[in-house]
Amino acid sequence: MIDYAKVDFAKILRRYDVEAQNETTPEAVAKTMLPKDPVLYKVAECVLYMKFKDVGPATSEALKTKDALDIINNGLVVGMECVAKLYAEHIYYLPEIMMAAKTMEIGIAIAEKQIPGGRTTKGTVVMHAAEGDPHDIGKNIAAVMMRSSGYTVIDMGKDVAVDDVVAKVKEVKPFLVTGTALMTTTMTAFPRAASKLVAAGINIPFMAAGGAVNRDFSESFDLGIYSEKAPQTPPIADKILEGYDWKRIRAEWDDIVGA
Amino acid sequence: MAKYTKMAYSSPDEMVFGHAKEPVSYGFGIKVGAGRVIPELNYGPRPGSEASPEKLRKEYVDYISKDVLNRCVTLGFPDVQLETEWISQMGDPKMATPVVEGQRAICEKFHEEYGINCAVRQTIPDQREAEEGYRPGMNGKHSYPEHLFQCAEVACENGADVLSCETLGGKELGDYATTNGDIVAFLFGIGYLGSIDMEYVWKEFVNIAKKNKVIAGGDTNCSGANTSMFMAGGMLDQDVQRTYSAVTRAISAARTLVAWEQGASGPDKDCGYEGPICKAIAGKPCAQEGKNCQCAHADLQGNLMAQVCDLWSNESIEYHPEFGGTSVQCWMGSLGYEVALMNTAIQCNKEKDLRDLYMITDRERGPEGHILAYDNAYKIGQAIVSEGNNYYLRAKAAGLTAAKLIKEHNDAKELQLTRKQREVLEGIIKDLEALPDDEDKFFEYCCKKYADVPNFTLKNYGL
Repeated sequence: MIDYAKVDFAKILRRYDVEAQNETTPEAVAKTMLPKDPVLYKVAECVLYMKFKDVGPATSEALKTKDALDIINNGLVVGMECVAKLYAEHIYYLPEIMMAAKTMEIGIAIAEKQIPGGRTTKGTVVMHAAEGDPHDIGKNIAAVMMRSSGYTVIDMGKDVAVDDVVAKVKEVKPFLVTGTALMTTTMTAFPRAASKLVAAGINIPFMAAGGAVNRDFSESFDLGIYSEKAPQTPPIADKILEGYDWKRIRAEWDDIVGA
Repeated sequence: MAKYTKMAYSSPDEMVFGHAKEPVSYGFGIKVGAGRVIPELNYGPRPGSEASPEKLRKEYVDYISKDVLNRCVTLGFPDVQLETEWISQMGDPKMATPVVEGQRAICEKFHEEYGINCAVRQTIPDQREAEEGYRPGMNGKHSYPEHLFQCAEVACENGADVLSCETLGGKELGDYATTNGDIVAFLFGIGYLGSIDMEYVWKEFVNIAKKNKVIAGGDTNCSGANTSMFMAGGMLDQDVQRTYSAVTRAISAARTLVAWEQGASGPDKDCGYEGPICKAIAGKPCAQEGKNCQCAHADLQGNLMAQVCDLWSNESIEYHPEFGGTSVQCWMGSLGYEVALMNTAIQCNKEKDLRDLYMITDRERGPEGHILAYDNAYKIGQAIVSEGNNYYLRAKAAGLTAAKLIKEHNDAKELQLTRKQREVLEGIIKDLEALPDDEDKFFEYCCKKYADVPNFTLKNYGL
């Protein structure tokens, strides 16, 4: 092998990942964001540190002195907001998001039982991966992120036929439908589904995403909007709930996702 | 079938691009691993071309294949391998057959007319879904397992030179593992169950290929280790740590190897970045991709992956117009000239120098490339063959060896890691070292721990 002992790798490549490391710690974020109330703090802390074995007992304990909605909104959800902040700052990564979301859902399931009629959802979204496409990891991640943001997700899975998507939308009347595709020959299902929705008088945004899909394609058909990465889905959904239609989402997309 | 328990190469330095211990010949004059590197061009049809069999045939044969072969002649390239990765619609024989027949015919025409060496790799789609069942007879709605073997028959009966597939066995656990950062789940899903699935599938593929006198090439862990690498992304991406994806790559080598143990002869698939490890063990030719596949995706080892390749691929490019011709022609030029450089190095007896330069440029770009540098890949290969007869133990040995190599080289300041990459790496070593040496105990532990992973069922693996 050529002797590379004296090679100055800084002249060949640059490790931006090493240079860009953030000094912030989860503990520092916890200090500024977690609730001051000790009972709610304990619940939120379980989410922040992904203690899914502890969150059940902590939530049950909190229910002895606190209202269920208070525990959810000011404990569990706040813990998840800390996690989102850590993710945005490159301190937490996808596995932490997934485990924290799982932890939060355990707590919410326990607290919700004390709410007559259950917890109100922010809205319902139908999600699927295109017909012929066996890859749905991106959709699954986005689904977790939508659930942890308070939305109800109807997950239709992968390899879903266009007519099945349209039928499900007619049935559950979501405010948003999403589709992911890894292949250019399967993403063509999205404009077909959208046009059937339009023909049925349904005017909700159709988020087209996935490895094969780009913004230009997503915006090439009526109803179509784009999401580049799974974490962009909840902020876009929030705007739709605020009253943005698909045209306005397109127009303000960069600002909404912080691109 | 016998498993690999010793290395094909006596030292890492023996490995070089263009030479394999067991070269393979096929098609119209193609010889892989026999002293020169062959460019392999892969392409995707435009959206809409799947509308009918005639449209699809025209796209693949009259446009794509013809454009590629013409560009090879224009630029004076002596060899080319086409690779057709079947789109899902080609699961229907009416869609697939005209494409396979047409590509063979056009290769024959160019070979006769110009003497260019050419062949077609037909990579059939594995559309099996864990929820419907991985094996024939499980009565899934789409009968995907039955279609998988039917596709192999259609490809081999109608003119494929090489049969390949990107099988999905273990994916349900692999996806769970990567999204949750759980290396044990990856080892169980990809290293263990994935190998069992490979054994089942490739035994049949090899039978079908032999029956039709077609070369059974090999596989890749695209659906596992590539998912992990893709999500780990570039320098500033934030979904998966690259120390995790590096270890998944090592584990995947133990799985990809199974196709060759079942009788496939190589070349394996280009997107199997685990190729250097597999080649070190088996001596069969491997296809790789890197710097000339930026049309499909970015990776952090674009030069390094050329170090010991036998076919050099662009991964895939959608057919469309560019300033320099069609997209397939432009990327053919890019591939062909890179391969010409490698072959020039061989002719000038400088192939080991070029190999090392390719490797050194990316060796410290990140942990994924680091463990694939041929000297490290060789060590991972040695770990695999030391436990060669046991799917679990060899996959675990591969992962643990890769993780320890990264740690050792980080300690020695040869390879930089972020704190998070290091933290994840140490967790991986701890988790893998805590596993039992007994396969039955591991199996029992994992079945219990991952019982609730969506769509996981032992029935898919005949267990």
